[in-house]
Amino acid sequence: MSDPATLLWLVPAFPLAACIITAFLGPVLLRKQSHWPTILGAACSFGCSLLLLISLHGITDFHPQFHTNALTWFAIDNFEVHFGLQADALTAVMLVAVTFCGTMIAIFSSWYMHNEDGYPRFFAIMSLFLFSMTGLVLANNFIVLYAFWEGVGLCSYLLIGFWFTKPSAAAAARKAFLVTRLGDAGMILGIMLLWLHSADGTNFKRSLDLNEILLRAHSSPYVTTACLLLLCGAVGKSAQFPLHVWLPDAMEGPTPVSALIHAATMVTAGVYLVARCSPLFVLSPVAQLVVAIIGGFTALLAAAIALTQYDLKRVLAYSTMSQLGFMFLALGAGLRDGNLIVLAASAAIFHLFTHAFFKALLFLSAGSVMVSMGHVIDMRRFSGLRKVLPTTHWTFLCGAVALAGLPIFSGFWSKDLIMDAVMEAGESTSPYRAIYLILLVSALITAAMTAFYTFRAYYLTFHGEEKIPPEAFHHAGEGHSEVAHPAHAHGEMEHPKNFEQSMAQKLPLIVLAICALFIGLASVSLWHIVAFLGRSTAFHVDKPERHTNWLMMGLSTVGALAGLVLATWMYYWRPGTANEVAARVPKLYEWSLYRFRFDELYGYLIIGPLNVWAQICRFFDAIVDGIVDLVGLSPRLLARFLQLIQNGLVQFYALVTIVFVTAFMAILVIWFGR
Amino acid sequence: MIPLSSYLIVGAILFVLGMIGFLTRRNMILMFLCAEMMLQGVAINLVAFARHHGNLHGQVFTLFIITVAACEAALALALILMLYRTKKSLDVSLWQELREPGQEAILDLDEPVPELPREEPLPHLTPSGIAPPQKREDSYV
Repeated sequence: MSDPATLLWLVPAFPLAACIITAFLGPVLLRKQSHWPTILGAACSFGCSLLLLISLHGITDFHPQFHTNALTWFAIDNFEVHFGLQADALTAVMLVAVTFCGTMIAIFSSWYMHNEDGYPRFFAIMSLFLFSMTGLVLANNFIVLYAFWEGVGLCSYLLIGFWFTKPSAAAAARKAFLVTRLGDAGMILGIMLLWLHSADGTNFKRSLDLNEILLRAHSSPYVTTACLLLLCGAVGKSAQFPLHVWLPDAMEGPTPVSALIHAATMVTAGVYLVARCSPLFVLSPVAQLVVAIIGGFTALLAAAIALTQYDLKRVLAYSTMSQLGFMFLALGAGLRDGNLIVLAASAAIFHLFTHAFFKALLFLSAGSVMVSMGHVIDMRRFSGLRKVLPTTHWTFLCGAVALAGLPIFSGFWSKDLIMDAVMEAGESTSPYRAIYLILLVSALITAAMTAFYTFRAYYLTFHGEEKIPPEAFHHAGEGHSEVAHPAHAHGEMEHPKNFEQSMAQKLPLIVLAICALFIGLASVSLWHIVAFLGRSTAFHVDKPERHTNWLMMGLSTVGALAGLVLATWMYYWRPGTANEVAARVPKLYEWSLYRFRFDELYGYLIIGPLNVWAQICRFFDAIVDGIVDLVGLSPRLLARFLQLIQNGLVQFYALVTIVFVTAFMAILVIWFGR
Repeated sequence: MIPLSSYLIVGAILFVLGMIGFLTRRNMILMFLCAEMMLQGVAINLVAFARHHGNLHGQVFTLFIITVAACEAALALALILMLYRTKKSLDVSLWQELREPGQEAILDLDEPVPELPREEPLPHLTPSGIAPPQKREDSYV
């Protein structure tokens, strides 16, 4: 059991088993108990991940690593693709975050989804997702990684479109799938390029083993291209700037899905990919600069959009985009300059780790609000819920202080580390250091905006006069109103004080809230997570060290506090101020409210011309089709005459036979008798 | 010595008589007999040629034809019996269903198919009691 290789197999095996059990037994046997396999599978998987992390932590080797025997997946000629798992510090930290959040969210889902049709389907896909995600993190080979990468994409598609009868959900699922596929096309090209250049020219037995490629990476002209292509995949999956449009729409899925897939885990796969490949990326300063610019720009853009959104889940979605932007910014700040690379990549992964906890918490709290309010999510329609939903109020506040990066709470430590990394990049000898300094300033502004929009959402939802939409009383504790079973529709609540009653609702919130508050501090002070991550095989640097940058800490604290105070002033002390400010700068407000019109822009630039092209193709196809149909029509016209003699009368058939045989004989006689 | 042509003429007459009977009769048994008559015409031809050539080839063929005709008679009569049981009539024009969809059925207006008296339907019992409740499925997913 404690053998590391067994543990490596067990981590994805539990969710896979849960998936198979739920998929086959769920509809017939388990029905409303379908959540148990998923919860147990995720919990067992979490236990294995924790054991793995502890045993990796205990190893004093410089690069602690476990790996399983590689099985041959498939072989073409003498090119073999192996299937094997490996774990190092980076993997273990990711695994713990994924499986822990997965367990909590599965418990929460058993409450959130309890009245939905397709309850077993939901949990089967959730398990499949956990399997794919753990497989993605554990993969030791680019092809295996790509396979699991597509696996999580598929689960994301299925879960966004969980309510597939709702047109907006189906459209959102399709959009997410297509946009990420655009990035994945780039990624597979990048993998091919790596494969092509991975070995010295004479040896045809190239492999796509991660370690081999990353350890033998050397500076050459193809590295920049390969990195940028891989980045395409990462940008698509992690919803960064050019391909970010799918994430806000993905909020059409059930809220636990948004928490697990579109906040805590799947969207961080891009960050993981770039971190895993950081030995490649540091070889190309240009690629690193692109990563940093995309990250910094997305962080700023998403934060600016989040300032004015009224949909609670959308605010959180844009906040996720913004935080992912921070991670990319940190990854991009890794330059080959002493210990900077390790610091930067560790900062990104550390932020990913803390972000998983507090963003899952915020989403689950939003889900709790949403179900209690009868699936109303517009913040203008409810307010002052702190008496009605006391537990949710406190847990949301915990998530908010962690996200805003107030000192000693989780977000503070990791965000501070990112700022530190960017600042060091700005002070390095890199030719692009000026750009890094600009990005640092934008990151500080973004941090202040983060605090502002987080607390804006908090005040709008939980403070002010108590206002509850009428839907809350009709569907309290109900499933999704549009698909809820009519038999339950009359289960009215006598008073909204009873909104929080289920342990399955409150327990994950409380556990995640404790994690969101203190996991950052604990990781930094007790487990030295940065040094531990630095020992991961992906970051081959000799001496990972951490120094405290008081200036950065002070600046980010000031920024966060400024955002917090501004939000408090605008939405708590003087609630009318926000509208006055919006009226003062109507253009700016409108652009932010309409998300800088990216959807319209893409509609005009990409979807419009493609539609025109599709119409042209369709017209051409109609012509070709017409010609083919004409050929097909002639036998049918002939048959129209011949079918007259098919009248079902035996004597008529005999007559026809006789007439034609006679005619044939007559011709023969005349022909040969000449 | 009767010349070959006489045999052939008899055979041809038999064949043509059978053919005409087959085309004009609507009674299935008569049509079957007509078909047999055509076979006999062919058999006479074969025997005549066997005698003309002075070998046994034609006679062997004839024996085969008679054997096959015997089997065919058994089958055909059995089939006719089944058809009769279904429609209570031997009229072949009642069996026109195997035609092209959309084609009109052909009716002989000069000599229509006689109408058969309809059988009295069996009496029905009135249903009693309450319809049993059926379990309703909430979800099939």
